[in-house]
Amino acid sequence: MRRDRSVGFLLTRAFVVLVGLIVCSGVVETAAVLQQHLMVRALTTHVQPLRLANAELRGVLADAQLGVRGYSLTGDGEMLGAFRSALIEYAVAGRALRAMADEDEAPAVDEQLARADTWFEIAELQSRAPPRSAEAVRYAGEAGPLFLAFMAANRDFDADLAERTDELRSLSFRLGGATIVVLVALTVGAALIAACTAVMTARRITIPLGDVVRVLARRGRGELEARADAGGGPTEIRAVAAALNAMADESDRARDAERDVARLRGVVRELGYRIRAHLNVRDAIDEAVRELAEIMRADHVLVRMAPGHPEAPQLSSLRDEHADGPLAPLAGCDVGWLGSGDVWTSGDRPPDGGAQPPEAERRACAQAGDGPVLTVAVSAGEDRLGALTLIRDAGPPFGPVDIQLAESVAGDLGRAVHLARLYEREQQLVARLQELDTAKTDFMSTVSHELRTPLTSIAGYLELLEDAEAGELNPQQARMLEVIGRNTRRLRELIEQLLLLSKIESGAFHATRHQVDLAELVEAAVAAISPAAAQAQVGLHTEVRGPLRLDADAGQLDRLLMNLLTNAVKFTPAAGTVSLLARREADEVVIAVEDTGMGVPEGEQDALFTRFFRASNAVREAVPGTGLGLAIVGAVVDNHHGRIEMRSAEGAGTTVTIHLPVS
Amino acid sequence: MRIGSEYQIADRGEFVVTVVLVADDDPDIRDLVAFKLEQAGFDVIAVADGQAALEQARTRQPTLAVLDISMPGLSGIDVCRILRGDPATAGMLIIMLTARVQEHDVEGGFSAGADDYVTKPFSPRELVSRIQALLSRARA
Repeated sequence: MRRDRSVGFLLTRAFVVLVGLIVCSGVVETAAVLQQHLMVRALTTHVQPLRLANAELRGVLADAQLGVRGYSLTGDGEMLGAFRSALIEYAVAGRALRAMADEDEAPAVDEQLARADTWFEIAELQSRAPPRSAEAVRYAGEAGPLFLAFMAANRDFDADLAERTDELRSLSFRLGGATIVVLVALTVGAALIAACTAVMTARRITIPLGDVVRVLARRGRGELEARADAGGGPTEIRAVAAALNAMADESDRARDAERDVARLRGVVRELGYRIRAHLNVRDAIDEAVRELAEIMRADHVLVRMAPGHPEAPQLSSLRDEHADGPLAPLAGCDVGWLGSGDVWTSGDRPPDGGAQPPEAERRACAQAGDGPVLTVAVSAGEDRLGALTLIRDAGPPFGPVDIQLAESVAGDLGRAVHLARLYEREQQLVARLQELDTAKTDFMSTVSHELRTPLTSIAGYLELLEDAEAGELNPQQARMLEVIGRNTRRLRELIEQLLLLSKIESGAFHATRHQVDLAELVEAAVAAISPAAAQAQVGLHTEVRGPLRLDADAGQLDRLLMNLLTNAVKFTPAAGTVSLLARREADEVVIAVEDTGMGVPEGEQDALFTRFFRASNAVREAVPGTGLGLAIVGAVVDNHHGRIEMRSAEGAGTTVTIHLPVS
Repeated sequence: MRIGSEYQIADRGEFVVTVVLVADDDPDIRDLVAFKLEQAGFDVIAVADGQAALEQARTRQPTLAVLDISMPGLSGIDVCRILRGDPATAGMLIIMLTARVQEHDVEGGFSAGADDYVTKPFSPRELVSRIQALLSRARA
């Protein structure tokens, strides 16, 4: 089976077969009808009239014999007249029969007519003989056998014609039957052939077409390697398959190109990460130059930084070609023409309103290489830091993808330079902060030592005097020394608290954090404050729902608890109560210290946590204090990222609530 | 009659006064400590710096030394370490005086081999009681 037929050919062939079959059956039918028609005509126009004419002749002769015999017997003139008129009729009938007969019938007709003529000759003689004469009898005897011979010939001819009539009838009948059989056979055959042709044609068209449709569906599902069979099937379908394959190839090529671009983008993005990871600008630029040359297949790469960026090298290039290589002229060109975010690329493409390099730069580029040039601004925000130039010795011009990639790298370079600058500033700042921290630590250490040393002398000698080691004291002297002692203790406390506060405030840097059980700390603090509370006749209640584990500096928390409890006891009159409540709330530990003391005036509560601040009622009632206790509490809470709430009513009491995060 | 005076009974049955070395660069504190210790019955050698403290410790072999940590030249900790390193003075009792309550000072003192430490400002009475406690523990 040949496979290169077209759909048109197949359809045409199928229809030609069908039309042929129809024409064929028409011809057969027409021929049959025509044949029948001819038979009927032969029957009606020839055989039947001939038979009638033959019968007429027979009648005429019978009439003539009857006339002549009658006359001979009777001598009736009327009879003779009948004979004569029969003779005349015979001439007409004989001619008619003769004219009607065709060649085949002519001998039989002639024979008959000859016998009739012979009889008529004798009958003529008989009619002339006198009736009832012997002569007449003789002639009559002579004419009898002749008449019988004629009648025999006439009957034979009639029988012949009758036979032919029957023959024609049966032939016509058979022909009709045969025609029906042939027509039925033709119709069935035509139907079968038409069906076969239709099925075959449909298969030759629909199978390859179905393949094409399936390939389309597979591609739709993502089976990109699917291709239609363009080697088989009708021409048109092969053309469709070939077109489909071409389209698929094209789309695969486009996808490959896209994947290539995506891969390049990935490479560039990674390069960007690496560039930004460099804290040293020189390393970042060197890496960018090296990698860009490879990624973008550039033969020369140059990075020029604008003046005023001391953290970045002025010029960097692949293989240091800017020193005295082909990039030297370009390295000498100013990048002032390039604005932040600008791009310029050489090529036939007319410039689209972008930055245009001055003639000197163009010449310098031409000196570096004959190929395409791409220059991208290196910017950080609106700040143009420099320019990145890529040059190919030969090869395709830089396309939109190249430009995008180069811009991306230039952007990363800009950020790297910017970051390096920030990093440098940060380093300076950190160094200064460290210096300050050291100075502060030194200062604190010195102050600590320098203040404690004179205090030691004062307190020590005071004790000697009070112990009467230098002689007995009179009561007035003793009272004065007591004042000195009280103020010495106050001074000492002040120094201790101040040092502690500064230590805690700087503690953000050095806080030593561990898992601490606040319940244990509370127990210890309550035990430590108990004697003072007992002495002041203040009731002490504790309610701790432990364990209360949290990440904290135990020393600082201890100081916080002690300060809160000391304050509460100190400001609470005899018979009052101090309660401490500690519990866990969600991811916080909450400590509440409540007293029934003098309270804090409404307007002063906010200032209570500032250094050296003392509530006016406390000062009025001469309650001793440094004004640093709550400042220390505040610093400890800040150090632990917690918060403080304070509720107080003057004369009724104060509640300080502290929330510390567990971690 | 001095109450709380420190005497040692020597092998020959004589009373021997306990010798205490005091080293502090601040003359007022040095005098204060010396005065208080003398009042308490000790024989006191007072010096102003670490070098002198070392020399006196070697020549006079005191039973106990009270050393200020922050002194010019050799610090109290240095002196303590040297005394502990020398077999002749390794068994001496040593109390450090420190102006700082910072932990690394205290740790430094103990790691150098001090027996006790007292922070400034201190009570002379307490210093004496610490010394006596240390002596009685050493004798036991």
